[in-house]
Amino acid sequence: MQEIPRQTEFVEVRGRKVQWTRGGSGPDLIYLHSAGGETEWTSFHNRLAQHFTLHIPAHPGFALSTGLETIRDIQDMAWHYVDLFEQMGWCEVPVVGFSLGGWIALEMAILRPHLIARALLVAPAGVRVPEWPYAELFIDNLDALRRLLFYDPEHPAIPQALPTSLDDPRMLNWLRAREATARVGWNPYLHNPKLPDHLDRIRCPIRILWGREDRLIPPAYAQWLAERLPAAEAVQFESCGHMLPFEQEEAFCQQVTQFCR
Amino acid sequence: MQFFAFHLMPWDRLPDDFEQRYETAWTWIPNSLYEPGHGGTLYNRYLDELVLADRLGFDGVCVNEHHQSAYGLMPSPNLMAAILARQTQNVKIAVVGNALPLYNPPTRVAEEYAMIDTISGGRLIAGLVVGGGPEYYSFTMNPTWARSMFREALDLILRAWTEPGPFEHYGEHWKLKYVNPWPRPIQQPHPPVWIPGAGSKETIEFVAQRRFAYMGIPYFHIDFFKKNFDAFREACERNGYTASPSQLGWLVPIYVAETDEQAWAEYEPHLWYFTRKLLKGLVVLPPGYTSARSAATIHRALGKFLSSAQTRQDIEEGAYAIVGSPQTVRDRLTELAKWLGVGNLLGLFQLATLPADLTRKNMTLFAREVMPQVRASLAESGL
Repeated sequence: MQEIPRQTEFVEVRGRKVQWTRGGSGPDLIYLHSAGGETEWTSFHNRLAQHFTLHIPAHPGFALSTGLETIRDIQDMAWHYVDLFEQMGWCEVPVVGFSLGGWIALEMAILRPHLIARALLVAPAGVRVPEWPYAELFIDNLDALRRLLFYDPEHPAIPQALPTSLDDPRMLNWLRAREATARVGWNPYLHNPKLPDHLDRIRCPIRILWGREDRLIPPAYAQWLAERLPAAEAVQFESCGHMLPFEQEEAFCQQVTQFCR
Repeated sequence: MQFFAFHLMPWDRLPDDFEQRYETAWTWIPNSLYEPGHGGTLYNRYLDELVLADRLGFDGVCVNEHHQSAYGLMPSPNLMAAILARQTQNVKIAVVGNALPLYNPPTRVAEEYAMIDTISGGRLIAGLVVGGGPEYYSFTMNPTWARSMFREALDLILRAWTEPGPFEHYGEHWKLKYVNPWPRPIQQPHPPVWIPGAGSKETIEFVAQRRFAYMGIPYFHIDFFKKNFDAFREACERNGYTASPSQLGWLVPIYVAETDEQAWAEYEPHLWYFTRKLLKGLVVLPPGYTSARSAATIHRALGKFLSSAQTRQDIEEGAYAIVGSPQTVRDRLTELAKWLGVGNLLGLFQLATLPADLTRKNMTLFAREVMPQVRASLAESGL
């Protein structure tokens, strides 16, 4: 696959410095990353950039983005993205949101429905049904984390997704990513109790992808969300855990190109 | 040198294969392992041991706060301190401490500490702590606010003790229209403040700047204490004064018996119960609990930690515990206290499953054959 040139720069949004990576050509596609903070150019980004101008902003507190001090909860995070989208002139654009990023996309779509034309959400966090508890994400043991997040604990894409040891040079960024995730997702745990009441406000087309073997957020949420969002459909993937974009890169990118173009 | 008897009040009946069957002695350890009747026996026994410290002439006793853990059965150290305020006569009562973000509003700490200080006739040492990593899981408290809640609560408590009330407090985390605690503490302007730390630069700088006392979090290699105490002294110099040894505390398990061999024979099974069972899951750094940079430093320091010690040689090399005859313990404590430059020794005289008779023998031997001699020889060095 052709290696797509990309550039990383910084934009200032309401006093927050936002790390913004973009590459590729074609229609704009905004990628909202997960709690893992995949803002480095990974192979699925590269694949998407064959078809889109892919934009990867880093959430406040992730990578070199700043401004976590004024993010108190997920709504502050959603307003941050409203500001960023308006400043960048991203209006009626397609959005891909993975896990935490999917939750942000849902919150944003409630605040400013016109910003998002359509959204492809991969195993989004954000809602809680008592029968389907989430597993504990905030664990220190990297091996246990790998087994939690991936269906295949030896999947070759794992080193792209997670630090492999405490000596990994990405560890500092990893710790910052965990901190920023905890800021919005510690309690209530990775969800907003008010979100279900507002899902019917999100009228844009939504496609929800979920790995059937997701051990972090049970796949039952795919259908649950699809039934409550006015224009949503759910697709599940066999032999796949939470890390669908890494674990089934080709199928994931095919879904994005088909749904977001 | 001031000598304190520190008690963790541990659970002593974990199954033999605990470490194979359970991930941790903290937060998620099923409380079906706890036996209410035996708990009552333990609390009363452990309190008696701290009362004994008073009779034996220790300078102080220490209790601390942990939740949902077999490591320590003191979710409320203030209850223990309140009992000790009545049952002891002379010892300082160091509560090390109250985990401020877990008290809502934190003026509760100002109130309860003032009560203990008052009932004890001004013997309270007020430990103000962030709380251990596991507490943030046990209480589902957002650890990314731990530091800022701690700072706000600490300032509020000191203000509540020193400024005439009622006054308003409008902070980031608490909004209180009327702060006006009754009673106020006996010790003026306020009881001494101790703050524990595991080497994070932020904490060292903060404690130095405010001229409080810094207690090294235990179970690290002795070199790690030294490094942090040196950093504390440097921080004090940067803040325009020279640290007093009374601003530093070293917490270490101690066991004294008639001979070195007898001490090790009596102590080892209990020490390994402690390191293999009770310490399992202690060191948890929830996200944002400390800065990413400090977390990385602590992760590195954990390469040399009591729970990684496997043999008597490992224990002695890292000074993770001081074990031996009175002569051995005297020499080692004197040498290390001088090297560390500490003015407070916080000894853990009961550990894990160490039974009542051995605990009392340990404390008694220490008080008679170690404490006076070490006190005298350290006094010559100005400690």
